[in-house]
Amino acid sequence: MSATDATWENDVFVSGADWEVVEDAVGDNTITVNMGPQHPSTHGVLRLILELNGEIVNDIKPVIGYLHTGIEKNAEYRTWVQGVTFFTRMDYLSPLFNETAYCLAVERLLGIEAPERAQAIRVILMEFNRIASHLVWAATGGMELGALTMMTMGFRERERILDLFESQTGLRMNHAFIRPGGLANDVTDDFEDRCRSLVAILRDKMNEYADLLLKNPIWMERTVDIGVLTAEDARAYGVTGPLLRAAGVEWDLRKAQPYCGYEQYDFDVVTEEAGDSYARFTLRLEEMRQSMRIIEQALDTLPGGPIMVEDKRIAWPSQLGIGSDGIGNDPSYIRHIMGESMEALINHFKLVTQGFPVPAGQVYQAVESPRGELGYAVTSAGTNRPWRVHVREPSFVNLQATNHMAAGHMVADVVAVVASIDPVMGGVDR
Amino acid sequence: METSYERLISLEDVERKVQERFPDLAADLRNDELTVFCKPVQVRDVLQYLSTDPDIQADWLIDLSGVHWPAGDHEIERQPSTTGWPTYRVSRDQGVIEVNYIVRSIAKNVYVRVAVQTPDEAPTVPSVTDLFPTANWHEREVFDFFGVEFEGHPDLQRILMPEDWVGHPQRKDYPLGGIDIPYKNDKFIPPPDERELREVVE
Repeated sequence: MSATDATWENDVFVSGADWEVVEDAVGDNTITVNMGPQHPSTHGVLRLILELNGEIVNDIKPVIGYLHTGIEKNAEYRTWVQGVTFFTRMDYLSPLFNETAYCLAVERLLGIEAPERAQAIRVILMEFNRIASHLVWAATGGMELGALTMMTMGFRERERILDLFESQTGLRMNHAFIRPGGLANDVTDDFEDRCRSLVAILRDKMNEYADLLLKNPIWMERTVDIGVLTAEDARAYGVTGPLLRAAGVEWDLRKAQPYCGYEQYDFDVVTEEAGDSYARFTLRLEEMRQSMRIIEQALDTLPGGPIMVEDKRIAWPSQLGIGSDGIGNDPSYIRHIMGESMEALINHFKLVTQGFPVPAGQVYQAVESPRGELGYAVTSAGTNRPWRVHVREPSFVNLQATNHMAAGHMVADVVAVVASIDPVMGGVDR
Repeated sequence: METSYERLISLEDVERKVQERFPDLAADLRNDELTVFCKPVQVRDVLQYLSTDPDIQADWLIDLSGVHWPAGDHEIERQPSTTGWPTYRVSRDQGVIEVNYIVRSIAKNVYVRVAVQTPDEAPTVPSVTDLFPTANWHEREVFDFFGVEFEGHPDLQRILMPEDWVGHPQRKDYPLGGIDIPYKNDKFIPPPDERELREVVE
């Protein structure tokens, strides 16, 4: 067989989507390279089209949408309460923020406010969630930059937080625990003890992370002066959250537009001046410490009382309880609706199957999620289903600044920049 | 940059200032939120005014989203006997797509919604990417989901749906398709918007 015949049989042709139309894959001095969507350092299915000049990155074009699941559309055909189950699955590293933001928006349209106890528990769970999210960020970011020990340590402590969530909400992630009007269930009796011992552990471990990385020369080599974003650029790209605060802008929605009673807790908004990847690292470490301060204050002042609004037209009727066969419907509640009150049964049936109508209107409710401003633009047409829910996802917006932050750096620094943005593709693509 | 975290201008003042500058615009203040309604041709002027006025300084474009209101009769509010809310019908001859811009002022700690309505048959809105670079992906998303053409956008193409996708899925007239069940004795389940879900009974 001659050399010319052998070509067609053995050659592998790779084609994919727009690859044929990406112009000038090889330019005068440049070459265009595909990074992702299957790539260990792109946090899921982020695809970056890199235009390289040797090792230098000239231009980055992020391509997203690989994880699009149509949650916003789906929610339009479900009741208001069912929406929680959807939105908690978007940014899967901070589910409780999604739930809270959505529920706050619905509550604003309804003109109700969840009871104090529910608000305080929301705050505690959200701050634990912020720590868990930042831990995953430190773990995956560390792994991507070669600090594998950080990965094992970060996931180790996150697991403890997820254990707490499981004990209170029944699920490690995607809890659907926060409902319009309050919470699905009250916390257990040992909630406070669990939280306090967990905070003690985390506070101890936090020093370990600092010891490992804060002055680590390799870590600093990879992150200092990498991916600098100034305050003015952050404004232009709409970047919020740790990226904005690392650029020296003191802006935190927990202070600026307090929700869930954040105004009663004493905490600092951490800022850094450098605006590079290293500043984002130190800032997130400090944010975790501030979250613990909030948790301890909220535990000190945790009020008693109901965890759901009194209004029986809105409050989720079902109660959970521990029976002989594990967790399930509370036997006394079942006795009440099945044996004592026909009206309670009707109300239960109507609420569970039809939900409740929400007055027509439009609100934009934002919370400070671990990644920045998480906003829910909720539109109601006055029926028992949302007319439209649009989610302003911080990862989606922050990702736009990738090119600005990483262009001019080496290829390896792209990984550091993407890691410092901390995008969660479930949130980006929704 | 130090931030005081106090609201330095009330929404009423913002409303008054906007209406002084643009007398023909309608504004709505409810749910602690100010909405300014304007025509597509005005939106750039309004956003520019909100971002440059020294008393407002709403120079952060935080969010940009669309809502589709199709033509036809819509019954709003269906449970008056238990809630006390009125029943009323909204009838539209012309379907519209409403594009909502949320601009935030970090200096004054307020945010304003600017709502633009454009007919859903040929929705066109001028792009604001040159004023706010962050609008790039937001506008692509609204184009992807609602088919709104943003005039002057540098790279208006689909962002979340595949590039060869047909139709704009977030529109209310987008066909959803049904569920074909491959077992005998089961019937075809219609798409959610045609399904007889449990209606609210009074």
